[in-house]
Amino acid sequence: MTEPTAVTSPGAIPPAASEPASSASKSGFRAMWENWTSRVFTMREDRFFLFLAVLIGILSGLAVVCFRIAIEWTQIELLGSSLSPTFPRVVLAPTLAGIAVALLVIYAFPRARGSGVNQTKSAVYVSNGYIPFNTVVGKFITCALAIGSGQSLGPEDPSLQMGAGIASLIGRRLRLSQEKVRLIAPVGAAAGLAAAFNAPISAVLFVLEEVIGTWSAGVLGAIVLAAISSVVTMRAFLGPESMFRVPPFRVAKPADLLAYVALGIVGGLASLVFLKWLAYARPRIQSLPRWTQHFQPAVAGLLIGIIGIRLPQVMGAGYPIIDQAMHGQFTWKLLLVLAALKILATGFSFLSGTPGGMFAPSLFIGAMLGGAVGAIEQHFFPALPGTVGTFALVGMGTFFAGFLRVPITSVFMVIEVSGNYTAILPVMISSLIAYGISRSYIKVPLFDLLARQDGLVLPSVEEQREQMILTVEDAMRVDAAMVLERAEKAADAIKKLEGKEGLLSFLRVRPGEWNFIEHSELQRLAADTSQSRTVEEASSKGPLPFVFRDMSLEEALHWAGDWPALPVLSRADLSKLEGVVTLDDILKAFRKVPVA
Amino acid sequence: MSSPANTIVVGKKSPRIYSREAVLFGCILLLVLFVIFTAAVSRMYHKKIHVLADNWFDQGEASFRAGDIKSALTDYRNAMVYSPDNAKFQFHLAQALAAAGRGDEGRSYLLNLLSESPGSGDVNLALARIAAHKGLTSDALRYYHGAIYGEWDNDPIGRRWQVRRELAEYLLDRGLQQQAVPEIIALADSTRANDTEQLRVVENLLLRAKLWTRALEVFRTILSANLNDGDALLGAATSAFNLGQYSAALDYFERLPEKDRNASGVAEMYKTAQQINEMNAFLPGLSREAKARRAASALSLSATRLQQCATQMGQSLTAMPPQTQLQKAFAESKDFTADESWQNIAKHPETVDEVMGHAFEMENAAAVACGEPEGADQALWLLGRSREGSAQ
Repeated sequence: MTEPTAVTSPGAIPPAASEPASSASKSGFRAMWENWTSRVFTMREDRFFLFLAVLIGILSGLAVVCFRIAIEWTQIELLGSSLSPTFPRVVLAPTLAGIAVALLVIYAFPRARGSGVNQTKSAVYVSNGYIPFNTVVGKFITCALAIGSGQSLGPEDPSLQMGAGIASLIGRRLRLSQEKVRLIAPVGAAAGLAAAFNAPISAVLFVLEEVIGTWSAGVLGAIVLAAISSVVTMRAFLGPESMFRVPPFRVAKPADLLAYVALGIVGGLASLVFLKWLAYARPRIQSLPRWTQHFQPAVAGLLIGIIGIRLPQVMGAGYPIIDQAMHGQFTWKLLLVLAALKILATGFSFLSGTPGGMFAPSLFIGAMLGGAVGAIEQHFFPALPGTVGTFALVGMGTFFAGFLRVPITSVFMVIEVSGNYTAILPVMISSLIAYGISRSYIKVPLFDLLARQDGLVLPSVEEQREQMILTVEDAMRVDAAMVLERAEKAADAIKKLEGKEGLLSFLRVRPGEWNFIEHSELQRLAADTSQSRTVEEASSKGPLPFVFRDMSLEEALHWAGDWPALPVLSRADLSKLEGVVTLDDILKAFRKVPVA
Repeated sequence: MSSPANTIVVGKKSPRIYSREAVLFGCILLLVLFVIFTAAVSRMYHKKIHVLADNWFDQGEASFRAGDIKSALTDYRNAMVYSPDNAKFQFHLAQALAAAGRGDEGRSYLLNLLSESPGSGDVNLALARIAAHKGLTSDALRYYHGAIYGEWDNDPIGRRWQVRRELAEYLLDRGLQQQAVPEIIALADSTRANDTEQLRVVENLLLRAKLWTRALEVFRTILSANLNDGDALLGAATSAFNLGQYSAALDYFERLPEKDRNASGVAEMYKTAQQINEMNAFLPGLSREAKARRAASALSLSATRLQQCATQMGQSLTAMPPQTQLQKAFAESKDFTADESWQNIAKHPETVDEVMGHAFEMENAAAVACGEPEGADQALWLLGRSREGSAQ
């Protein structure tokens, strides 16, 4: 596409109706402002979109900074500054905060319920990217209260939704096209998640895998930009440090990786247990009378508080506890107990509809399981490389991959949250095993499952991955065409066609330029008494759009309806015909594939 | 594509229509205000958490000093919640864990710190102590050396000296004498001659490592500053005694206060040194007669010892030809037994060396066959060894 410079170029945003600039009569600032806005608005929409992505990234980053501070502040005020809150607080804080959260969610911010991932995804696919700003405010307040009071939830998914909400508001206020408003919400989502996790790559991958549900190149640049700007903003206020600090280690022998295979199996089974429990209990909790919603978060808070009397580690997001586990501060027995109780506590919080995310708890559970497996393995095999911390780190990625079914995100997440590249091989192995186990027994990923329970059918990358992508090769016929040269006699061509029913004739004009000739036309020329008429004189259809055998069949379908047949050419030599494909061939190929 | 300006965005209610410039201006204004607000909030927040972190850390320090390690651990952990990357907090937590006998847990924090500052003397030392406690000698050595050659904030020379001393003591405690020797020598070399306290530590290590020559040098250095330093006199006496410099040893012993001289272990050495001194026919200034008397006495003493040993071993010293060391020693000294009187030796003062040589030989042969001698025999045997050492 040529670079449009004019305002009227296709795809460009028309300038807003403003007075023509007359700099001389205006103040310097106004002239500068108008000059700048004029430049911004006369950008091509995709460039303007990138500019907005940066703006959204910064705003989301700021929102997340405030959100994280709000959570910590609430926690200090409600539970005290110690890791082990005193007895009355540990039970009262989550219970009373649960009542407040329930009232806020029911009467003021009904869309703030849940984690935020599915809500954002449904905003993209159901409400054209519309997320009311009220939801952002609600999410901020209710999550800060819930997580700060000790509910076993995390701040990442809500940050994702807050980012999406901010982006949606900006998109609407700037009256972007409907398509862009739909796309801008994931941009904000990536920014929010990146800032919450201090992990831009994982945020981008997660949004592409889970929220958009497709690897769309059109929005990738904006998502990356937004994620980077939000992380830079967040780091400016909260520091650049990685979330966890684990000493580097080295896998000395390939056999050492077997230790992580065991971790993958344990992580996969644990994620299955958690998923099964949520899948089983959620519809039952949801079917309870509506008035019980007033008390569900409080009951969850009470139960968590009771657990917290003995084991306060399970309360809240639990990042300091993960850090302690990574430094081998717990015995393997305690690690196992903490993992089990965290599954229980997170289930209580999530099922009660308390706003908050599942990322932090799943990292917590994974770290505890990893640490336990590592400690047990190192007890029996003291020569194993790495520390309990290494296993805890890998365990985080493992459980994350099994539970949320985002294996690529989980690998990058582990690297980003620890700043430790040495764990990549173990985390890849164990994550894939956990992912495989989880997928084998529960076909639908967590967020899709929750959406379906809520009556929404949202696109899933996992399902898309399983869909067979048809290419031209699946439909083309190899021996169904005859190539004619321009100087070739029509009579000779007819002779060649004798006895070959259904053969299609293509005239090679020059490399990359092919025409289609009907048999009747060839016969008309061949009937000429002079017998010297060439095929070039025939009336042909073309130049034909050509396709390659590796192109998707959907692409070929765009052209096939307008032409009798499409030549399939070699990518290395556009004068070489490899086959032919018609609309019928394409439809037949599609019919062969079973519908998902 | 429809004109974006005319697009009705799907939503619950249509937003008020503002120009794009106004919205963009609003966004930027909002951004600026939001930045200011966030900066203010973040500043307050950081201030609060720093106060909390410092309070918890101070509590931890107080508990640690009071010996309440359990509380100290809780307090340090609380401090780390608010400042997880604080190296000081991590270091103190690790030390508290080590003090609680949970060195493995502390090790993890220390390894973290080490990966961030591999040259940290403090971290290397803490890791060395944990490794030493666990009996991982190679790790301990590596970390001790890391600490010795590492960076120290305050008094680097003094700290390095202390670490090397600790390493030397650790190696000696584990019986790794060979590995300890270069450390002790390096320690002695890096000790200032006027620092008596450090010299004392070095002298002690040198004695433990049996580096008598270096030890004697150090003691002499100390004594040059204070002639009556009891510890130095004792050390010098011990070193000189072990070096076979019995006259010097006796001199040092005699300068010791009587109480110290009669202490267990010292009294024996002193007595032996005295005996050696009394038996030594080679002392300068002795008269011919005195030399002869001492030589004759030594020969007689050693012959008796040889006889006793032969009896103990069931051997006959007169067997011909001589087979065993005892028999050979006896045969060689036979010529002198004909007239072993001091008067005869005094007549032939040139034979003193030979007579003493035979006495030493017999004592040696008896020591090899029957074990180290005691009393006067021991003194004679030691004198012989010191003469042999000097000759070599």
